[in-house]
Amino acid sequence: MNRSLTGATVQIDLKSPTLNDEEIDYLRSQLRENYDLIVRGVELGDDSASPPIAAAPTTHTISQTTEAPTTRDGEPSRIVPCTIRSGQMEEFPQGSLIIYGDVNSGGEVRAGGDIVVLGTLRGNACAGTNGRLSAVIIAMDLAALQLQIGNCVNRSATDQKPPGYPEIARIGPEDVIVIEKFVKF
Amino acid sequence: MGKVIVVTSGKGGVGKTTSTANLGTALALLGKSVVLVDADVGLRNLDIVMGLESRVVYTSMDVIEKQCELNKALVRDRRVDGLMLLAASQKNNKDDMQPEQMKAICDKLRTTYDFTLVDSPAGIERGFRNASAGADEAIVVTTPDVSAIRDADRIIGLLQNVEIEPINLVINRFSPQLVGNGSMMDQADVLDILNIDLIGVVPEDSAVITSTNRGIPLVYEDGSPGAQAYMRIARRLTGQRIPIPDLEQKGLFSNILNWFTKKR
Repeated sequence: MNRSLTGATVQIDLKSPTLNDEEIDYLRSQLRENYDLIVRGVELGDDSASPPIAAAPTTHTISQTTEAPTTRDGEPSRIVPCTIRSGQMEEFPQGSLIIYGDVNSGGEVRAGGDIVVLGTLRGNACAGTNGRLSAVIIAMDLAALQLQIGNCVNRSATDQKPPGYPEIARIGPEDVIVIEKFVKF
Repeated sequence: MGKVIVVTSGKGGVGKTTSTANLGTALALLGKSVVLVDADVGLRNLDIVMGLESRVVYTSMDVIEKQCELNKALVRDRRVDGLMLLAASQKNNKDDMQPEQMKAICDKLRTTYDFTLVDSPAGIERGFRNASAGADEAIVVTTPDVSAIRDADRIIGLLQNVEIEPINLVINRFSPQLVGNGSMMDQADVLDILNIDLIGVVPEDSAVITSTNRGIPLVYEDGSPGAQAYMRIARRLTGQRIPIPDLEQKGLFSNILNWFTKKR
């Protein structure tokens, strides 16, 4: 289990099989003791619903909320104080990533929420993997050849000179990634 | 106690072996004791570039297999004092050697020689791991093209993971003409991406090819621009502070412009 979830509040979403009160209490205490997770609520499975083909592992049902978040309220972020070089990958599914360096060609950053690169973004960036479609990618110098937000993939036009100002990429109308000058949020 | 420096690049054909041969010879010419270790097991080349092919009897694999003593496996270069070569086995492959075995060899050489230069094979697999296992420092060789730079970037990440420090950059086959007409990356572009210290720029020089074929490292004949560049890098490796000359060819107009911007 990822330690960055420590102290988080979680919702347990029980599909089938349904647990009894004693088992839920045990699960609650185990989560608190071992992972420092606070259980906000328990959604009980519906007996009448058709059972899933294979029971999902427990950790899966904890970390996944029932629906994709719509705002960045309460979303955690992780700071990466270095450059992501070719072949290196930085992933933070729980929230946003802030890179204090470059993301070089061949490097990859993936975040559940936003991605902010305080340098040049030359590698692959994939924001909004948690399904939040308002996720954005901001870079001081946005030189990536491919961007992804949610399920939208964009290939930038090649042979473009860097504009010399920060840019922001977001999902615009018709589910196309648009890149514009970043002024402020 | 000497230094063990791995010469590596990720991509093949950028000039690792040529750089190892020339830097090693240059360091010996400066009066240092140097041993060159070919870590390219199965595809050895350093002996040819050094012109010592005919005198290789034992290899690092023989040392590892305890067929001979380390000192006996070293080939002495008779043209200059204090320059030795430890050749790689040509009949084995890279998986026959363990990183720990290479480290043991480097640890022994470090006690006797001022500089141990390890010529790494291309790639990021076992051969690279063997070559870097015993290294204190690294020299990353790249050419100013995007594919070589991406591979150099990958190698730098791997070297940083194992905390080899410092990592110095050599930009090889630099062509001022191509930079001048905008079809080659300049020094600043390369350094912006790789973000490590530059220790030298070697210009594109046809004398490199002829010297490789003749088995006489370029630095023996001091006249060529390539030889001078390697001599400067060797001096920097010994701790001398020598500025990196600006090889980029600029027109009269931009020189005047530079002069004015520097004044202000």
